[in-house]
Amino acid sequence: MKELDPLLHSQLRLAVMSILMNVEEADFVFLREKTESTAGNLSVQLDKLSSAGYITVEKGFCGKKPRTVCRITNDGRVAFESYVETLKQYLNL
Amino acid sequence: MEDKKITPQESMAIISSMIDASKQRVAMPDLRISIMWASLTIVTAAVVLALSLTAYAPWVNFIWFAIPVIGFPAMMLMVRKNDNRKGVKTYVDKISDGIWRIVSSIAILVTVICIVFQAAGYYGAWLSMLFYAFIVVGFGAAIQGIVIEERSYVFGGMFSAIIGFAVMALSFCGVSLSVVWAIPLYILCFLLMFIVPAFIISRRYNRKSVSE
Repeated sequence: MKELDPLLHSQLRLAVMSILMNVEEADFVFLREKTESTAGNLSVQLDKLSSAGYITVEKGFCGKKPRTVCRITNDGRVAFESYVETLKQYLNL
Repeated sequence: MEDKKITPQESMAIISSMIDASKQRVAMPDLRISIMWASLTIVTAAVVLALSLTAYAPWVNFIWFAIPVIGFPAMMLMVRKNDNRKGVKTYVDKISDGIWRIVSSIAILVTVICIVFQAAGYYGAWLSMLFYAFIVVGFGAAIQGIVIEERSYVFGGMFSAIIGFAVMALSFCGVSLSVVWAIPLYILCFLLMFIVPAFIISRRYNRKSVSE
């Protein structure tokens, strides 16, 4: 059986990818609230996903407030779909 | 939530719960910007109608400019506040934004064309703004309705577009458009295209919120 993508097989990274698969873009605050994670931990995990090319992280400003927006990439989408397919095999679905 | 290893069952549970969490936002589309434009258009039209009937003077038509002059800054302000509030943009948001960006761009271009025609002495060119409002905005509202699966939007949009073509046909046939019926029709179309669907959606959403 194919091995589950180790980059996605982590609680927080998988949660982030699941949200981003479902929306066009989400900002850091939204992701932190939905995943109930700490800012530091989320930031580290976003960096890992970004380095792997699964998401893009865009830092900008909304008015005077800094705003970090995350979007899933095509590679990320393919990796997520492949992860779900493998997961189905593990769970015999 | 932490960065810890998980079982396949836990993975599936995370994926399901995160999909649910991000779906909640899609349940209530943000209609405040379209309501703002529709209300502004209706109020402006009502003021123009009232002034046209009481003290007709050519300057009354300049009141129509209140729509872009007030509307665009108000929209920019609302968009900025929205970005802060939501934190997420769905595909529905992206498509809706695209529809209204195209409709707004056409409005700007039609205005420029009308100004050029006016400069050339053809004041009647401004009539095309009326057709724009009926047909292009109506078509935008109908597509918006399809995207968010709200039939009242589709009905309002189609009603407006059909009225627009009927008014255009009358105009081609040499029937002069009178403010007495053209402006009330215009107000009715904006009520059906935006205010009624927004009312229906917010009522449905509130009912759903109470039952949950």
